[in-house]
Amino acid sequence: MTLEIAQVYSQIEAMAADVKRRQADYRQKIDLALQTVSAISSNQEQLERKIRNARTTWLVAGLKEKAGIHHPVKSCPDNYIVVASDGSHIDVDRHQSAHLFLLNIGLVQLQYGSSPDAWFSSIPSLYFKEDEMSIRSQDGRQAPLEGPLLGIKRGVEECRFLADRVDEIKTNLPVIALIDGSLIMWGLVGQRYDDFVIDTLLINGFLKQLDRFAALNHRNPTAVASYISFPRSTDVVNVLRVQLCPYNPIDCDRYCKGRFEGRECDNVGGLLDRALFNELLFHGERSAVFYSSSTIVEKYGFHRVCFFYVKLDEEVARVEIPLWVADNEGLLDLVHFTVVDQCNKGFGYPVALSEAHEQAVVTGADREQFWSLVDRVLNEDNLSLQRSLKQTSKRVKWI
Amino acid sequence: MDLKQRIAEVVETSNAEFMAQCYNLEGAPALGSMVKTKSKDYDIYAIVYSSSTHGIDPNRRIIARGQNAGSEADIYKANPQLSKLLSTDFRALIVGYNKDKAILQYLPPSPASIYAFVYPCDMNEVRDFTQSLNFLSLLTDARLSVSPDEVITAFLRYAGQSHPSPNDFLVKAGKEIAWLLSNDIRRLDSILKRLQK
Repeated sequence: MTLEIAQVYSQIEAMAADVKRRQADYRQKIDLALQTVSAISSNQEQLERKIRNARTTWLVAGLKEKAGIHHPVKSCPDNYIVVASDGSHIDVDRHQSAHLFLLNIGLVQLQYGSSPDAWFSSIPSLYFKEDEMSIRSQDGRQAPLEGPLLGIKRGVEECRFLADRVDEIKTNLPVIALIDGSLIMWGLVGQRYDDFVIDTLLINGFLKQLDRFAALNHRNPTAVASYISFPRSTDVVNVLRVQLCPYNPIDCDRYCKGRFEGRECDNVGGLLDRALFNELLFHGERSAVFYSSSTIVEKYGFHRVCFFYVKLDEEVARVEIPLWVADNEGLLDLVHFTVVDQCNKGFGYPVALSEAHEQAVVTGADREQFWSLVDRVLNEDNLSLQRSLKQTSKRVKWI
Repeated sequence: MDLKQRIAEVVETSNAEFMAQCYNLEGAPALGSMVKTKSKDYDIYAIVYSSSTHGIDPNRRIIARGQNAGSEADIYKANPQLSKLLSTDFRALIVGYNKDKAILQYLPPSPASIYAFVYPCDMNEVRDFTQSLNFLSLLTDARLSVSPDEVITAFLRYAGQSHPSPNDFLVKAGKEIAWLLSNDIRRLDSILKRLQK
């Protein structure tokens, strides 16, 4: 037997009742959140000081502009290029015959304006050599590249291939490079990875690629941004929680340890940023730019991650940009325009990212075919195959 | 054969026909026009009997995009990726081949090569090929996904343009068709009426 759907049904009903109960509180929280945003605008400097001195148990966005401000889309250059990447992978599978992993990076380049053009590519890379299968420190420690760490490695490779492509374009047109997901390497936060892992993947990996985008601005305007659909972040709502907190300086552990409800900040707690900006923004508008205060971002230097929200037809999305993009009004406007326009063209999701995904995707059938091919080639070379009996049991159904 | 003239590439092949994918979107030759491609040792002549434009990925449905566009061209301008996601291909019925400079109006010993380039025939080649009309039985007997009679009439009108007197050519072709379809007067009548228009 598989899933007993009849048994799950009553649990789904209970879940729906819980959602309904929470929605009743939602309007009250939104109204208070909007009032609080208005209140901030009269004295934001005081709030910034309060944020700087606060010791909270949650992430609070840094304020780069007036928190409640909203910007309509500005016009864009007639001719520009959007490049996007996405990736997919086949992870190490200890039940399979060979110890390896595969990364498949999809790249898309779309040129708009007087000479519209498109270019698609899909680049598979197989990793199997001993020194490729783990990250190694100089003193011999190793972190195997599999599971979540492989996901992070894939993110670095997506960025590397994207930078390679942008580098190859040789144009004087503005270029906007889009990445799917976050610029913040959340996977490295709180996992207690050794420094050599962070150095390899972040400092000498991801950030080195961001350096390349920044350097290209000597040639032509080049922006990089990441796009997060349906974000669940609360960094900006947490700013409102700071504003509502009666303590100054704030110290959650000292004043509210063990309390998770009934605090002043709980009157807006539980709201998502996207719900707040859905009320604050008109269609196509972007929010103020904020700083991320994630601990990992401290290592980003001048790529310090900033973000804004943008209201689209069907949702509010989060767009993350490095500080050098946020500080450059032209690039910031270009990113804002591109995201809105790409979503209009892509029926709610950036068309370049959508096509990059199509180039990158590895389906279940592809995986089956891949492992069959691996087995066949090893067999042809008379190499003995050892596969786990668990894997065999999944393939051969018996009674 | 010149690189610039090639219009498509064979992507499905059999003894009697082939399917070719066009290099340009909506770049299929006209219904009833003559194309040629290569097998190992000879040129193969074929008549285009259908063409279609569709998404390359069968799992992705094409949707309308132009409600707010000024023209159809604006849709492509605003969505340059479409040129990579859509494809035009056509099917052509083989009517003969060329070996040692002789035109043979029956099926070649082996199909066109897969990935063989496809070229449109120029009017001299069409005229040379249609000096004899023995190949017409391949058309009248063909079972196609479109009406073979539509293909026959489209081809004869097209081929007539390659002859000094298109009318004389059509009369000659009409006689040949009359002989081939002598036991199917209704079909013959339908073809001849189409040729007169």
